[in-house]
Amino acid sequence: MPQNPYILKGHADRLAKWLVPNLSAIHLVAVFIALLLIGLLLVPVAQVMIVAFQDASTGAATLQNFIDFFQTSLFRESFWNSFYVSAMSVVVATAIALPLAYITTRFHFSGSILIQSLGFIPLIMPPFVGAVAMQLIFGRNGTINLIIREKFGFDIPFMNGLNGVILVQSIHYFPFILINLSASLRNIDRSMEEAAQNLGSHGLRLFRRIVFPLAMPGYIAGAALVFIKVFDDLGTPLLLNVNNMLAPQAFLRISSIGISDPMGYVISVILVIFSILSLWASFLFMRGKDYTTVQKGGGGMAKRILKTREKFLSYGVVIFILLLVLSPHIGLLLLSFGTIWSYAPLPDGYTLQNYVTMWESSKTFITNTILYASIAATLDVIVGTAIAYIVLRTGIFGRKGLDYLATAALAIPGVVLGIGYLRTFHNLDVPFTNEPMASWWVIIALALMIRRLPYALRACTAALQQVSISLEEAAESLGATKRRTIQKIVIPLMAGGILAGFVTSFATAAVELSATIMLVSSNNDAPLAYGIYLFMQTPSGRGAGAALGIVAVIVVAIGTIASQVIIERNKKIKSTGDSH
Amino acid sequence: MKHTIYASIATLALTASGAMADEKITVITSFPDSMTGPIEAAFETAHPEFDLEILNKKTSAGVKYIQEIAGANTADIFWASAPDAFEVLKNDNLLADVSVTSEGIPELIGSYPLNDPDGFYYGFAGAGYGIMWNERYLAANNLQPAKEWAELAQPEYHGHVGMSAPSRSGTTHLTVETLLQGEGWDNGWAKWKRIAGNFSTVTERSFGVPDGVNTGNFGLGIVIDFFGFSSKASGFPVDFAYPTITALVPANVAVVAEAPNSEGAVMFIEYLLTPEGQAVLLNPAIMRLPINPATYVNAPEGFPNPFKDSTIGAAVEFDVAKSGSRYNLVNSMFDVMITYRLDDLRDAVGAIQAAEALHADGSNTKATALIAEAWALIDANPIDEAKSLDADFAGIFTKKRKKVTDKVGERQAEVEQRWDAMVVANYASAKELANQAAGM
Amino acid sequence: MKKAGIKIENLHLSFGETEVLNGVSLEIKPGEFFAFLGPSGSGKSTLLRAIAGFGPKPKGRIMIGNKDILGLDPWKRNIGMVFQSYALWPHMTVRNNVGFGLRERKLPSKLIKTKVDAALDLVDLSHLADRMPNQLSGGQQQRIALARTIVVEPEVLLLDEPLSNLDASLRVQMRRELLRLQRQLGLTTIFVTHDQEEANTTSDRMAVLDGGVIQQIGSPQELYDKPSNLFVANFLGTANILEGKIEILGNNKRFLTKTGDSLSLSEGSSTVGNYIILRPQNISINHKKSKNSLPGKVRHSEFLGSQIRYIVTAGGTEIVIDQSHRAGQDWFANGTDVHLLVNTSTAVVI
Repeated sequence: MPQNPYILKGHADRLAKWLVPNLSAIHLVAVFIALLLIGLLLVPVAQVMIVAFQDASTGAATLQNFIDFFQTSLFRESFWNSFYVSAMSVVVATAIALPLAYITTRFHFSGSILIQSLGFIPLIMPPFVGAVAMQLIFGRNGTINLIIREKFGFDIPFMNGLNGVILVQSIHYFPFILINLSASLRNIDRSMEEAAQNLGSHGLRLFRRIVFPLAMPGYIAGAALVFIKVFDDLGTPLLLNVNNMLAPQAFLRISSIGISDPMGYVISVILVIFSILSLWASFLFMRGKDYTTVQKGGGGMAKRILKTREKFLSYGVVIFILLLVLSPHIGLLLLSFGTIWSYAPLPDGYTLQNYVTMWESSKTFITNTILYASIAATLDVIVGTAIAYIVLRTGIFGRKGLDYLATAALAIPGVVLGIGYLRTFHNLDVPFTNEPMASWWVIIALALMIRRLPYALRACTAALQQVSISLEEAAESLGATKRRTIQKIVIPLMAGGILAGFVTSFATAAVELSATIMLVSSNNDAPLAYGIYLFMQTPSGRGAGAALGIVAVIVVAIGTIASQVIIERNKKIKSTGDSH
Repeated sequence: MKHTIYASIATLALTASGAMADEKITVITSFPDSMTGPIEAAFETAHPEFDLEILNKKTSAGVKYIQEIAGANTADIFWASAPDAFEVLKNDNLLADVSVTSEGIPELIGSYPLNDPDGFYYGFAGAGYGIMWNERYLAANNLQPAKEWAELAQPEYHGHVGMSAPSRSGTTHLTVETLLQGEGWDNGWAKWKRIAGNFSTVTERSFGVPDGVNTGNFGLGIVIDFFGFSSKASGFPVDFAYPTITALVPANVAVVAEAPNSEGAVMFIEYLLTPEGQAVLLNPAIMRLPINPATYVNAPEGFPNPFKDSTIGAAVEFDVAKSGSRYNLVNSMFDVMITYRLDDLRDAVGAIQAAEALHADGSNTKATALIAEAWALIDANPIDEAKSLDADFAGIFTKKRKKVTDKVGERQAEVEQRWDAMVVANYASAKELANQAAGM
Repeated sequence: MKKAGIKIENLHLSFGETEVLNGVSLEIKPGEFFAFLGPSGSGKSTLLRAIAGFGPKPKGRIMIGNKDILGLDPWKRNIGMVFQSYALWPHMTVRNNVGFGLRERKLPSKLIKTKVDAALDLVDLSHLADRMPNQLSGGQQQRIALARTIVVEPEVLLLDEPLSNLDASLRVQMRRELLRLQRQLGLTTIFVTHDQEEANTTSDRMAVLDGGVIQQIGSPQELYDKPSNLFVANFLGTANILEGKIEILGNNKRFLTKTGDSLSLSEGSSTVGNYIILRPQNISINHKKSKNSLPGKVRHSEFLGSQIRYIVTAGGTEIVIDQSHRAGQDWFANGTDVHLLVNTSTAVVI
């Protein structure tokens, strides 16, 4: 006789029932995760928000700090600059992505592989690493300008002040827009376009009146993401020496004046509010405009064959963008192999010494990175899977809240999280030791975990959605407990997605800088990204720093490729399974 | 399999939190890894029973940190360039009064006493400030190296100079203060502003200056000497010179009050003063002036020797107390008048220089008068020296969170905002006057 | 609205290596409601789209009226097309959807408003002018799509499976609507479908396609009663096909089946062919043998409401017979030996 699947068995369940009679093990897990998220995300951020509203010397509630902020021209300027840089980065990124998206979706373009790789290459170079290299190539006296000045007598202020930040960020982030825009263009029902052509429209008019409005939601989603990421980024402006933006100002205030400076907190509040506003605005824009449900087919636009002149132009555009996108990589490679690079288009000479130096002094950085990123990624997929299961498979009260809380980490800039942790764990000591928690290496790993959790959660949710609930029900009707079902059926079926989530989490945590730079107190605890930052602070260290940067790029590249391969392989397994 | 994982994680956790076997000495320092690394290696080789744990913090952040953990202090050593930071800590009773034995260390470097007379902190190396330049850049722009501060204000260097801000770099602060003490408050600030009018950029950290000169981003930089020496030793096409108005100031080390390992801390300081320890300073990545004259025997060719060459660092007698009392105020003034308004300042000075070039012969008296007026606007300061030394006023610029409700006068933000308004107006007017003069 | 005829001459079209339209020729008279009927993959949609100008460029001629439009871009042909998915633009109101073509033709906005109102009135949906497409039902969307094409007064109207996305009951209603509208406007219309009932009930004439080749062109009745090949016979209605050969004995034409049964053929029937097509309703099922009957055994019977359908093994194959059902009538049980009386005046020899 089959057992009633709703009778809970197993140690975990019995323990739960003993502790709290009305809760099952899953309830306990949910509570634990909620506490974790509250303690590691909500409380630090709340702390930051609260301090911003407190008087620095009395602790009384006040808006004075905000008034001071907006009355100080430097901060107003920083606010405007952050906004300007983010918006312009979106514009430039769109300018790069739009022709590429158009070429791939509108034409039979044999260089499509090229364009796909364009969507991947920028993302494997952490922007702050690329910034130094871009400075060497596009800077005031960098490669390009030296050559142009000699031949033509003028130079182009690519990297001057805010321009440098905009250039580095757009080159790094345009893939987000490219991918989203291409996807929404591809999702357009071909008959939408044909109906318009049938009624007399074509060319640019058609694009403007029909195609682009339909692709708009996808575009906005990508653009909003880019905007927020640029707005919150600390590493790039810092390494480009641009200080009159919000994130670097927050960092500078806290690190040079101390955690008692109210301005750092005020800036944090503004960063967070703005991030949330942008996310909300894009969500609002998307709602009611989900055109995919109204369009029945897909098929994308009809693809034409390129005429020779168009082929020429297309290849020209693609190769130009490819060179632009590869410039930080090329620059970094040259710097890593270069001897001295000073006021010259290229390094004076080449050597392997930098790699040797790097290897000798970076072992701690690398082992730390592996440790932190592993912990972060592991916790991410465990928590991510748990939340995904709780949200999709149970009716536990507040499960949506868990989902939102975990995803909310997206809106919290790394620098704010770092400040929050410093503040929250400042007076606490690590259990059983005398060490202040704020300088304990574990919180770096935890910060990384929280920052990557939204992405891992998304991967795990997607993986779980692909597992039909009837598979679980079949197992339970044959006598398996919930726990065994999860263990034997659900998790193995999710394995591909979980693994992909782990790898992506690992690869991106390995090169995170914004929160790390706030939380590293000793060089012994420093990971890769911080190591690169340190190297770049000495004359003899630039080559080694570049070499370490190349290591970082390789780590992220391998991670991204591996994750893609796993997802593809997973899809194949699923689809062959379905066809039986 | 699971058990192995738990076991290995536990082991990792334990090992990552530091080796338990050796005695730990916790060092708070603003020196970069390229310097602390070789010294740490040399010290731990000479004293294997100790393990140095280096916490890297900028000078002001380090001072803040020690102030904040004072209740339950975990730091043993404070190790930084700027003596005024040590003064601040000394005044807060956060340094330990220890006695250190050493041999062959003189009393003075330049005209500056090496050690705190009360025995709270000790010098272990010397440093001076000067001008560094990129030879290729200068050649390409037809410029000569500048050897004196005043030269940096000359029109041909417009847009070619870089410097950090005193608020971001203890060493830069010393440079600024040195000129203020050497030339006087009003003249000093005027000089700084005119030099700043030639700035290409104000860098975020002191290293940004030598970095900019090394890569050729700008041509000349105002730096601490070892940046110049180590850059040159690394192979960059750069060179360095001390101007006449400079101070040779010791870089210091001290034991923190109530240090968990004060014995180990003292051993560390003593090691720094041994011939062995001093010799490490000549490491190409470090390049700091040793304070043991005997060490200079092994110095590379062209390396300055303040004990032989008495012109270095003799011109200014640096008053540490004065510097300490107005530390934050000077930071603020520099930032408000120069750093945050660099574009305005640069434009104004550029316009004046252009006008001057047109009326070089001085025949047009009206124009000359306008130009003089314009310069006066640039040079104008919001406060005089007396105010800067007024303890109540300077006290506004302290960022410490006081427990007691005791607001003195105005808040810092308000003062800064007033100063900002003044300089913005002044620079704009100066530019206008200059343009007028140019038009004549 | 002007009426234009359509003439397609020897159209060939390939997708890469595969030939999709193989020598298609047909002529549609002005004002005709013409259907393209065929299974999926037969090329009917491809043919329609080629007329509209979508897809790879074919070889041959496509004449609208007197003009060969083969080389023209789709937006230069004055042809209206209603897509299977209706293709209403979700980001525009109904009014703007319908007025789109007029705006492309740069008509003054007052005129556009008048025409749009008239078109909406024609399809009885004036009250929905300011809604968004996602607020409309399937049937309403289809009528708006129609209005959108009619309003630009095309010479020809193309309908690509317009009813297949509607539920069954709506389909019947809509096809009558379509026909009514077409008669009212007198537009030359091509209607593509895979459903023979739709084609039968609406078209004046139709073309049956298979494998990119036109099988037969004619009125629905002609195609049903006189199919010219086995495919058409099978596609339209149920066909009983008996294999055999023709025997001519003097004035007597007979069809000899493989199993040795002999059926007389009428005077006018063809004498060339190896098959004879018998429609289920033209065979009666009896106990008694008669002159033109085939012996057989009842294998299976189905109640279809208005008919009873018998499957009888006879003539070397399974024959389908539909007998009108009257209440109280006796059925032939399975296994009964019966005789099938064939009305050979309606039989077709292929």
